[in-house]
Amino acid sequence: MSPTAFARLRKRAALFLSLLTIASLATACSQDSAKRETITVYSGRSEEFIAPFLEKFTAETGIELDVRYGDSAALAAQLLEEGSNSPADLFLSQDAGSLGAVSSAQLFAQLPSQILSRIEPKYQSASSDWVGVTGRVRVFAYAPDRVSALPQTIDDLAAPLWKGRLGIAPTNGSFQAFVTALIQSRGEAATEQWLTAIKDNEPVLFEKNSQIVEAIDNGQIDIGLVNHYYLWEVAEELGREINAKIDFFQAGDIGNLTNVSGAAILSTSKKQSAAQKLIEFLLRDDIQKKFVSDTHEYSLVNPALWPDGLPALQDVKSPAVDLASLADLRRTQALLVKIGLI
Amino acid sequence: MAIPLVYLVRRALDSESQTLATVVMRRKTLEIFVTTLTLTTLVVALATIIGVAMAWTLHNVALPFPNLSRALVILPIAIPSYVFTFCWISLFPELQGFWAAVFILVLSTTPFVILAALSALRRVDWSQHEVAQTLGLNTFATFFQVTLPQIRNSVTAGSLLVALYVLSDFGAVSLLGVDTFTRAISNLYRGSFDRSTAAVLALILVAISGIIISIESRTRSHSKNFRSSSRIINNPQLIRNFKSRAIASVVTLVYVLLGLAFPLTLLIIRFFSNAAVIDYSNLLRAALSTIIASLLGAFVALLLALPVGILVQQGSSLARFADKGVLVVHALPGIVMGLALVAFGSEFGWLYQTLGLLAFAYALLFMAKSVGAVRTSLSRVPQNLVDISATLGQTRSQTFRRIVLPLAAPGILSGTLLVFLAAMKELPATLMLHPTGFETLATEMWTYTSIFRFSEAAPYALALVLVAAIPTFLINRPDLVNRSDKYVSGEGDLS
Amino acid sequence: MTSLEIRDLGVKFESRQILSKLNLTIEAGAFAAILGPSGCGKTTLLRTIAGLITPSEGTIRFGKQLVSVSSLVLPPHKRNIGYVPQEGGLFPHLNVAENVGFALGKKISRDERQSIIESMLTLVGLSGFEKRLPQELSGGQQTRIALARALAMKPAMVLLDEPFAALDQALRAGISEEVVALLKSTNTTTVMVTHDREDALVSADVIALMRSGSVVQSGTPAEVYLKPISADVAESTGDVVTIPAVQSNEGRYFSILHHSEGLPQDGLKGELLVRPEEIRISANSTASRVTATISRINYYGHDALLELEFAGMAKLIRARVAGPMNFEVGQTVFVEHQGPIRWVSGNATRE
Repeated sequence: MSPTAFARLRKRAALFLSLLTIASLATACSQDSAKRETITVYSGRSEEFIAPFLEKFTAETGIELDVRYGDSAALAAQLLEEGSNSPADLFLSQDAGSLGAVSSAQLFAQLPSQILSRIEPKYQSASSDWVGVTGRVRVFAYAPDRVSALPQTIDDLAAPLWKGRLGIAPTNGSFQAFVTALIQSRGEAATEQWLTAIKDNEPVLFEKNSQIVEAIDNGQIDIGLVNHYYLWEVAEELGREINAKIDFFQAGDIGNLTNVSGAAILSTSKKQSAAQKLIEFLLRDDIQKKFVSDTHEYSLVNPALWPDGLPALQDVKSPAVDLASLADLRRTQALLVKIGLI
Repeated sequence: MAIPLVYLVRRALDSESQTLATVVMRRKTLEIFVTTLTLTTLVVALATIIGVAMAWTLHNVALPFPNLSRALVILPIAIPSYVFTFCWISLFPELQGFWAAVFILVLSTTPFVILAALSALRRVDWSQHEVAQTLGLNTFATFFQVTLPQIRNSVTAGSLLVALYVLSDFGAVSLLGVDTFTRAISNLYRGSFDRSTAAVLALILVAISGIIISIESRTRSHSKNFRSSSRIINNPQLIRNFKSRAIASVVTLVYVLLGLAFPLTLLIIRFFSNAAVIDYSNLLRAALSTIIASLLGAFVALLLALPVGILVQQGSSLARFADKGVLVVHALPGIVMGLALVAFGSEFGWLYQTLGLLAFAYALLFMAKSVGAVRTSLSRVPQNLVDISATLGQTRSQTFRRIVLPLAAPGILSGTLLVFLAAMKELPATLMLHPTGFETLATEMWTYTSIFRFSEAAPYALALVLVAAIPTFLINRPDLVNRSDKYVSGEGDLS
Repeated sequence: MTSLEIRDLGVKFESRQILSKLNLTIEAGAFAAILGPSGCGKTTLLRTIAGLITPSEGTIRFGKQLVSVSSLVLPPHKRNIGYVPQEGGLFPHLNVAENVGFALGKKISRDERQSIIESMLTLVGLSGFEKRLPQELSGGQQTRIALARALAMKPAMVLLDEPFAALDQALRAGISEEVVALLKSTNTTTVMVTHDREDALVSADVIALMRSGSVVQSGTPAEVYLKPISADVAESTGDVVTIPAVQSNEGRYFSILHHSEGLPQDGLKGELLVRPEEIRISANSTASRVTATISRINYYGHDALLELEFAGMAKLIRARVAGPMNFEVGQTVFVEHQGPIRWVSGNATRE
């Protein structure tokens, strides 16, 4: 007698479930194989760029890393939600803002002075609970064949010359950090004025910096506000030379804002010393050098290290901005919302 | 299901009344509200019209390769909306804004309607159609006066899924720069870590979806059985004239090209441009992780949905409430659900960031699909078979096990497959809740797309589409799963 | 096998009274047909006997066992009843063998089970169909499998709900005959619901006539056919002709069928119920001197229905004659009534 359809279904389900169990056991085993010390890292920095560094760290120290990759802001939100229950030991962030947000909830541990002393005070938290690891600078990217007169300040971008030619990513954290800095240096009214002028210039809005660079390359727009390293990122992604260049505004212009990627240790972590070792590692000279060559970022430890083809950090003449203050984007977002950019 | 709502209310109460007022009352909120509603309405309207037309065509016109066409037309739901959108804008960067979002969302949600309409059409008694034609109605009039009323409930249920999909979609609207509630909520979380305001917006979203759900259940027609004869003819006389076949083939082809072939080709090209450096073992591991996590999620959803569905069927009002509740939750953006479960799960260290919690999250997010399937499949088991079983000496539980469950199984299974499918594509909650080191295709893909390494993301995207194609295919071909299906319960039926 | 006794049964759906004060007794081993127009509550009665509907009042007994009183209702799975609903109600996900073996518990061995299934299939004449699925069977085969499934559990009673309604006319006679013979051979108490009078007359030992929720008459087929309690009831067992008649003060009956000279003026007015086949017709004068003119002939082959026009009466009277006949429309014929006098005044009949 043939088995009923349902029995067949049940058999299949049973097979499925047992396979599932085996597979999940296998996964679990492979995770638990090591008895060595393991620290959990929440990384807002992408796996592609940071993983080689982390592997090197494990190879050198024998400390295993469980890394959760995610968007810096989303991970920060997650840390805030987890509060004192967080399984994370260390937080690597793309930007100072996310660090500042978690810091103001007092979830980070104080860092020891041997770490803090490696970094210039302006690139670390005033409350000594996070440090910058690498520097990234706001620049404008442009199409060299379509743009002859480069803007000198961000105010130039409001000129009719750029009508419909400018690309910005107003929902992106890096742009919002820049606007926050703008509010700090010029005040809310002046910032609103600038943003309104930009908006009246009919900019093309993007979600990501990289989209701006690609849009310049494919001719959709001619100029855009991005972080400096996206030029390389997009070129590497497309696997060819791209029709885009980057340049800085004049020295001291707020458009040249330097932001940092950084690291912090959770105060709830029971592996403070291992986590500190990782930060020390990231700040080591040879590792900083590797950041500069691999990810085209600026070193925050050694002023002599900067990416090929760019000026040194001290020559960029970034405006003086309290990075920790970039955490609160509320006013910025309110402004952007008011003007209608987000 | 209460977890996310309790979370939202708690967070919303945290906010200072001042901020609350400014957030809710500001002009921008109104704009977002209008955008969200018009986008949802337009997408639902278009997807419903196109979906019903496609389903009708597939059911009635003799197309070349009917089974293949049927599978291909459904397959776009296997493509996550962020992949879908990415494919389009990487070729047409000028594709931005509201109308682009309408276009893309219609393409990617229409299969929900096709699926629902097709399975309803299969239950329609074709002899009624023939009678109507002899009464002088032409094909179109017959459709509107005879067929449509009978498939209406299923179609509205499909449209409801489309509406909830659009409300909770983040991928398409964020890439295309359309301000909906979901995008605004995400921006609030990302930009200012302002969880309270985000929670308020999320509650507004919950209210909107609640209203949509209640509209849907109101428009539902309550006369259940339209069968005029117990012996029904399900297989229509296929329309075979050349003109109809040509038009139908072209329309189907255009849809398949836009919704499936085009993004898939782009992925394949990107895949091969990069084939040398693909880490196949990682790809395989991620694919396996995706399958494991999503299957578990589907399984948990089924376990949770079965009692709810059974109780609703028995008229429990509490269960009916739960039934509507899971639908409301269905419209929440993944990031909200993710954070709610982070807040909840991190209280329990042993549970947090385990496969179990991830599966639970999937189950909560997508349970609406399985509860609906359980409910309809059970309701469609003929009462007379249950009665006969009783007279044949079977107790209620024996009857349930031997008759009701096997007959409802195909429908329940397709609901579970829909959860499986949705879980595979889920990203924001997965990012927050997956066990550390347990990378799925979606998270791996995100790893690369977040830094714009689209060629490197392509293999993962492609693998995701291929893996997701399996349940999609099974949903569409229930006869491969269970032979009795077409006699009792609807496949892929969401009503 | 068991007897069935129903007393004062009442069933309500919401506020609608479906059955009321229904009484019915069926002997053990008898084959009973419940005959009535659609909507009279036949199926409800059957489902109530099966235990699928809880009655609002009355009692049901199987033999000596009380299965249903107001306070106690035995659930269907404990009644040991073989229920064959309309069109069989086979389980679509099970094949023929699985359907037939459905009620056989787990206590019996595989072989035993196998042999019961086989013998049941042989009984219904469908051996070799084990692996088929219900949807691969014709309507008649489905009905027979459903019967086999019911009989496999050795039920105390079998309930058939319009078992032959879905069959086409050609198959119908054969299958119904087979099924009935089968049930009678197993000596199972059977209750069959039907709206087809021929089915009922041919198969049943007992016929119960139902009208709007209760049994109005029951008895052997001959009893209910020959001695209907009303015109309405008479009609449900066969064609009937009502003929205006008068009962004289002396108690004699006068009708146009019996007296060519017309009806007496005084006396009680009423009608006579006559079956068409009781009206004998001949071309030549016989004992009868009553004449009529043939106004129409409906020829069926084996017999024919003639419509007769009587002088002085607008109403046409139908008479049945055997197939080979040579009457013509317009012909004047002699008419005679050979059968019991069924007098109806108001609703009651009297012989």
